[in-house]
Amino acid sequence: MLDDYLKANLASWDEAVGLHVESELYDLQGFRAGRCSLHDIELGELGPLVSDGTTLLHLQCHFGLDTLSWARRGATVTGADFSGEAIAKARELAGEAGLSSRATFVQSDIEHLPERLSDSFDVVFTSWGALMWLGDLDCWAGVVDRFLKPGGVFYIAEFHPYAFLIADDATPESMRIGYPYFQYGRPQRFDEPGDYADPAATLDHTVTFEWNHGFAEVVDPLLRRGLRLDFLHEFPYTIPGLPLDFLEPCDDGLLRVKGRHDDFPLSFSLMATKET
Amino acid sequence: MDGPIPGEARAANLKLWNAWTRIHEKSAFYDVDGFRAGVSSLFPLETEELGPFIHDDTTLLHLQCHFGLDTLSWARLGATVTGVDLSDEAIALARRLADEVGLSSRAEFVCSDVYDADAHLADRLFDIIFVSWGALEWLPDLERWADLVARHLRPGGSLYVAEIHPFAYSLDEVPGLHDVQVKYRLLPAPDRPDVEAVEGSYADRDAVTEGLFAYGWAHSLAETIGSLCDAGLRVRWLHEHPFSPAPFWEWMVRSPDRWWWLPDGEGGHRLDLPLSYSLLATRPEVGATQGGRRA
Repeated sequence: MLDDYLKANLASWDEAVGLHVESELYDLQGFRAGRCSLHDIELGELGPLVSDGTTLLHLQCHFGLDTLSWARRGATVTGADFSGEAIAKARELAGEAGLSSRATFVQSDIEHLPERLSDSFDVVFTSWGALMWLGDLDCWAGVVDRFLKPGGVFYIAEFHPYAFLIADDATPESMRIGYPYFQYGRPQRFDEPGDYADPAATLDHTVTFEWNHGFAEVVDPLLRRGLRLDFLHEFPYTIPGLPLDFLEPCDDGLLRVKGRHDDFPLSFSLMATKET
Repeated sequence: MDGPIPGEARAANLKLWNAWTRIHEKSAFYDVDGFRAGVSSLFPLETEELGPFIHDDTTLLHLQCHFGLDTLSWARLGATVTGVDLSDEAIALARRLADEVGLSSRAEFVCSDVYDADAHLADRLFDIIFVSWGALEWLPDLERWADLVARHLRPGGSLYVAEIHPFAYSLDEVPGLHDVQVKYRLLPAPDRPDVEAVEGSYADRDAVTEGLFAYGWAHSLAETIGSLCDAGLRVRWLHEHPFSPAPFWEWMVRSPDRWWWLPDGEGGHRLDLPLSYSLLATRPEVGATQGGRRA
């Protein structure tokens, strides 16, 4: 069954690549001209640990903009994604940007990555809309641990599990709950024609299966693998592209809950170290 | 030492907890007679998760112990216990109960604000620090709390927390429906306590009270866990649960194992929302790498 979920999600992501490379949200022209696609959260928190020669594995890298942005900051990067379309585009972009010698892209889902990649890394990185595509975070945490060198650091910046609980028709006055925090491994099926980067788009592959993951579901399997939690941060804002009607864009380009800019967490970040 | 709790809040909360102690001593919720007859006040969660760490002569510090039922329940399992609470009436009752059940030699109770506990505990170290159910909401500053915890754990010793989930504190009932919505802030505001006029008690809704106010502070899971990381403790695990030890609304339902649940409308329990959490954090052995990376 999990494979059927994966197949549907893969069809959706393969199709989305063509849309995303043309989208304003991903701004490929800007990237080609040197713009960094990373956000202040991950640059501020992980940036200081990335320098010339840092080896970095980017899990669920889509078509590699963030991966290549880390490469531009000196890292030697490997990006992994289950979408063949995304990986092909990432390799093309690496070539264009003159980063091919320091950027490798591997097509693989998370579960099978250890069969396709044997290195270990100073940094394992993942971000923004990744975990919702994974049904089994225990398996994921094992993969994170597997690819960290002793002393290596895992970092994630993600949408907050609370953000995905709120009903579609919620207002700031009535933040009704429409979705589960605990899913016990069972995905939610969505069938939506649009796309987060282009709501007006009409896609052929509209069905996806997604999992919301509570904090414990994310943190606990990392801890059980023996990783040392360095920090867990929450932010009352998130990056553009989260298509939720109770959010509004603010002057700094970030999204916050309408009229309640300070008190509702929409993102979190976490750093954990594999001790030597 | 000046603690971080403003004087007005401290006075209001002290008055509240003294009044609640008198109500709780007689409440079915706390069932003090049952305790006297040997029933443990601990939930199966705490005995399953922390129980394996408790042996004869384990030293246990219980912060914000109210009138000591849980503290003494750990003592019955072999621990040598120290309970700390702000309320003088609660501490007096705890000492009386320790006497009555013959545990005075292994149970000590200290009347103190958490933040002033050093004045009483000096440099004593404990094997276990225990914190549970509606404790952290009374503390404005979790960094100072976590530092105090770290100072009083022996190397290799562990903090266990079982608490109401921050998400549950943000919920309000939807008018007219047995359903919930997010209403209150979910991120901490140390300088802005929530001040609430209190009627009755979580343990006895019908208790008659007058002129009582509660000063509480919202906390988030990230703040709580981050404070422990920053204090150099190693978080070992984190669990979240869809049940609570006390009802937030009268329409919540209780299961035979004493947990309270949101009803699912079909006679069952809602399993989809977090109402409580538990965690274990350990002070590294001497020489081990220290955690904590402020960013």
